[in-house]
Parts: sequence; C-alpha cells; structure tokens
Amino acid sequence: MNGLMLVARREITTQVRTKAFAIGLLITAVLVAAVTFAPKILGGPDEYTLGTVNSQQLPLKAAAPDAQIEWRSFPDEAAAKKAVLDGDVDAVLVDGTRVLTDGEIDSQLGVLLQSVNREVKLGAAGMSIPPLKMESVGADTRYESARAGIAVVLVLVLFMLLMGQVMMVAMGVVEEKGSRIVEILLSTIRPWQLLGGKIIGLGVLGLINLVTILAVGLVASAASGIASDFPPGLPGLVVGVLVWFVLGYAFFATLAAALASLVSRQEEVSSVMTPLTMLIMVTYFVAFYATNDPTGTLATVLSYIPPFSAMIMPVRMAATEVPMWQVALSMGAMALAVLAVLGFGAKIYERAVLRTGARLRLADVLRAG
Amino acid sequence: MLEISELRKRFAGGPESPGGKVALDGISFTVRPGEMFGFVGANGAGKTTTMRIVMGVLQADSGSVSWQGRPLGYDDRRRFGYMPEERGLYQKMRVAEQIEYFGRLHGLSAPAAKQATDDLLERLGLTERRGDAVQALSLGNQQRVQLAVALVHDPEVLVLDEPFSGLDPIAVDALATALQERCRGGVPVIFSSHQLELVERLCDSVGIVSAGRMVATGTVSDLRAAEGDTLRVVVRDPSPGWADGLPGTVTVNGDRHVLQTADGDDQEILRRAMKAGHVEHFGVEQPTLTEIFKEAVA
Repeated sequence: MNGLMLVARREITTQVRTKAFAIGLLITAVLVAAVTFAPKILGGPDEYTLGTVNSQQLPLKAAAPDAQIEWRSFPDEAAAKKAVLDGDVDAVLVDGTRVLTDGEIDSQLGVLLQSVNREVKLGAAGMSIPPLKMESVGADTRYESARAGIAVVLVLVLFMLLMGQVMMVAMGVVEEKGSRIVEILLSTIRPWQLLGGKIIGLGVLGLINLVTILAVGLVASAASGIASDFPPGLPGLVVGVLVWFVLGYAFFATLAAALASLVSRQEEVSSVMTPLTMLIMVTYFVAFYATNDPTGTLATVLSYIPPFSAMIMPVRMAATEVPMWQVALSMGAMALAVLAVLGFGAKIYERAVLRTGARLRLADVLRAG
Repeated sequence: MLEISELRKRFAGGPESPGGKVALDGISFTVRPGEMFGFVGANGAGKTTTMRIVMGVLQADSGSVSWQGRPLGYDDRRRFGYMPEERGLYQKMRVAEQIEYFGRLHGLSAPAAKQATDDLLERLGLTERRGDAVQALSLGNQQRVQLAVALVHDPEVLVLDEPFSGLDPIAVDALATALQERCRGGVPVIFSSHQLELVERLCDSVGIVSAGRMVATGTVSDLRAAEGDTLRVVVRDPSPGWADGLPGTVTVNGDRHVLQTADGDDQEILRRAMKAGHVEHFGVEQPTLTEIFKEAVA
C-alpha cells in the first residue's frame, strides 16, 4: 500500500473509531428521519368523522379520494347533538336535509357535502352532470413544493458537511505541523501523498455521512409515504449530489490545507481560515436564496461559476428540471477549478508546512519558490 | 558511509536582520558504518539545521549529502530513522498503532510492521502500554515511543536530534543500549546532545560545531591528543611567589594553590612545589570533552 492510501486509511480509522463520529452519525440519521416524517405528523391528509341520523351516507370518497372519512350512525337527533358538542364528530347529517355542526362548518367539508349532496339528489332525479375537466396551461407544478423542500434540505446538508470536513482538514494539517510529526512524515513520504491522503480520507468520511443522510432520507420518506409526492428523476439527483459534494469538497479542502499550512498553532486556524469560511458562507447564502428563485438570473449564472456551482447547481437540479448538458458543463468547469486549486494548494502546502513558527504570509510563501 | 560536505544555509531575514542569518557556514563530516557520531555545539550552532538537511526536510543553499558514494535521495531517506528535535507523535493515536503506521510508511508490509512493533515494545518495556493513547504516557515513555518510531523499519542510518534530553538516568541507559546495538549491527548513528559526558562515553567520534562551522572533528582520543594533557599540582600553604617563572596558571582556593599547565618540566615543577609547601596532588590529566568543547568554541 503506498503512502497516499496509508495516510487516507489512518484518517478514516482514527475518526471512525471515535465516539464523536458514531454519535454524530446517529444524530444525523435521527434528525433526517424526523424531518422526513414531519410533514406526515404535522400536515397529513384531511380526516373527518361524520354522523348520520335517519339518513344515507353520502358517497364522499369519489369526490375526495385523499380524505379519510369515518361514518357513525346515531339513533336520534339528541344523541347526535351531544356527539357534535363533545367534539366526537365534525358534522351529522339529519334526515338527509340538515347538517349539525358545532359553530361554522369547516369550509372544505361544507363545499364537499353540498356538492356531493347535489349530485346524489340530481342522480336520483335521473340527471347527471359531467364533471369539469381541469387543464393547466402553465408548467407542471405538481411537485413544486416537494422540489423546493428537497432543495432547502439539500443545500443545508451540503453546507454543513462541506464546512465540517473542510475544518477537519485544516485542523489535521495544523496538528501535524504544530507537533512536527510532519518532519518524520515528510522524511518518509512526499508532501502530495500526505496532503492527498488527508483530503481523501476526510472526504470518504464526509461521503459516509452524506450517504447515510441520503439513505435514511429515502427510506424514511418511503416509510412515511411522502415519497409519493417526490418528483421523478430522484436517482439522478442523488448521484448529482454525491458528485457535487466530491467536487466542492476537493476544492474547499485543498484551499483549507494550503491556508492551514501557514500557521503552526490550533488557535490560529480559525483566523487564517476566515477568507475561506466566508467564501463557503457566501456560497451557502446564494444557494439558499436560489431555493426561492431557482430560475432567476443570479441562480442560473452562478450555477456555472465555481465554486458557487457546487451548491447552486444541486439546488437548481432539485428545484427545477435542468437539462443534462447544463449539469455536465457546470461540472466540467468545477472539475477544472478543482485541478487548478490542487496544483496551487499543493505548492503552498509543500513550501509552508515545514516552516514552523510564526504565521507565514501567503505572498512570502509564493515568492519563496 | 554518510558524507556531509560543505553545507551552507542562510535563513531569510526579518525586519530586524535584513541580510538574514547564516545558519551553516560550510559544515563537513563523515560517519562510517557502525560509528556513533556525537554532534555537540551551543544552542543555535547549527546542529538541528544540519540534521534537517540530512533528512531532506530542509534544503541547503549549497553543499551535498551522500550515502554510500551517491547523492542521498528520497528512497534512501525512507530507510533512515529520524527523531526530530521537537518530538512529533499523534497524541490521540494508540502506541502500537502509531509505531506500526510509521513502519508501514517506511515501506514495511503489514505483518512485518506488526512484528517489528511487538519486538520494539518488548525491548523498550512498553508492551503493557501498547493500547494506550500516546498522550496518556509520561514524557519519558513518549520519548521511547518516539525512538521506536525511528527504529521500527530497521533503519540503515539513524539521525537523532537530542534523543537523551529529558530522560532519567535509567531511560538514558536503555536508550544508549538500544543505540549501541544498532551501531554494532553496522548502522551509522548521528546524535546531538548537550550531555557531553554521555557523548564522551558513547561516541566513537565527535563533531563540535560553533556558529555554523565545524570547529573540531575526530575521535575523542584524537581530540584529546590535539588538546594535550594537563599537569595539575595542588600545594597547601606554599611560600609566597613559589610559582614565579613556572609555566601555566595558578588559582588560589583558600590556602590551596592549584597550578595547571600544558607544558614545562614536570620534575622541576614538582621540586619547586615540594620546596614551597605540602603537595597534596600531582598528576597528569586528560582533558574532558567539556574542556575540549569550551576550548574549541571559545
């Protein structure tokens, strides 16, 4: 096994065995499941409990297939009135002519009862009215709210994972530099092996997190039934998100390693990383804005520009339907940016990581070569 | 044979020293197989800089390092063992895993790294601590782990920067024994130390650096011969002016006069001393490494 893979394996095994990793993964899974079940618990289909006194049950099922309706029959009006006032039933149909409610009737239920009652009476009189046919001349908006929801969750997950793993890369680089382990390491392996191994190892950990989130999310949404509201093309989105995470992570993690190699103490990490964390935050904010306006000019333009594309293109892919060639173009641009950053970042890292002591200036490091 | 020749290094200066600081000003020495080479010098003399250049973690401005007649390269260095001045270990990693990891990085197979680790832990008395995180160990034990990391791949050359600093006498002996074993196996060992008695006891040859230059190098006996023996005479209550005209220096310590000289007729000096008072001590002394060092650095 070469140096690169040995370093990557150490990063993975060291982290995976910590309690923090297991607990973090568990919390993530629980949160994702909770988010997935939330719409079912909070919203869910309409449920009505209705009663009859001396009446036929109305065939409401045909008019409102999603609603869950339970019927009860009462022997007389007094018993029905009591049940209404106790809140046991929402409404009671009496003699097929009157409806008893406690206060004003739920407007949807009211409209439903009126229209079905009319249809039944007309049918009894031998008349039938063909139902109105609905036709949308706009875009297919069936999945709009589901798409927006997925986009919001996705951008949050990408942001948190990117930020978390990128900070781990920075801390790891400083750990090795500050304790001078790097001197022993670099008398054994080459700088690119150490840097690459660390980035790959922590990236795999990030992917484990992301795959867990996606898997739990998909399984939980299938179990809770909200998967039926999901738009088609979900597998493509999942693959896209994984690729975007890898690209975005490679870009930001390499820069993080380069910046972190300028300092020798953990206390200095956050200050030296400020420009990069700002960049990630800005990307996140723009991507979050894009969830609201995925077809706007800002979202469209920035979905091609690295590194913003790493979070904004996934938002567009989730929120709207993006042609394949646009995704490919944007990924190609990002991949080129990653290559450029790898070359540049590795050079800084190589020059700076052995120069312990005071914080180095980026300009000095670049000039020193 | 490890040959270090004419190493020069200047560090870029800050605002206070625009010209930079010369760290090495033409350091040269050789270490033969099976030779233990002691590297001594004041703080900042250039020992660490030299070792870092040998290990390839610092580039020299000029000069060369060669191993077995060829310029020292990356693949050679992988077979070297290195202990840097500031100790570097993963604090949260377990002892055995850490040693194995470095063994693997040095190119050992997994079973070979495990075997070497077990042997070293046994030899260094750390077997019971193998599963502990490094940060849970005492400093002395951490130092042993550090040594194990330098030894795990059975290195061809050992370069150790201050390996004995901070160790108790028992740990010093354990480490010295471990190094002597490697040395007898034909491995050249370079180590730096401020404990000159230790260097004198362990090393076949010594290099004394001062201000980036090698001011004296050779075997300990060569250096002693070059320095010359010293005649030391202690006389109690001598008559005043007894040493007038004799070579060397007289220091007065209470009623004892101590005359030290590197030349002169020892028999004549003895006669004069006996005439002047009660001779308590008369003897020829070899210079200690400390004296040679002070003389060389002065």
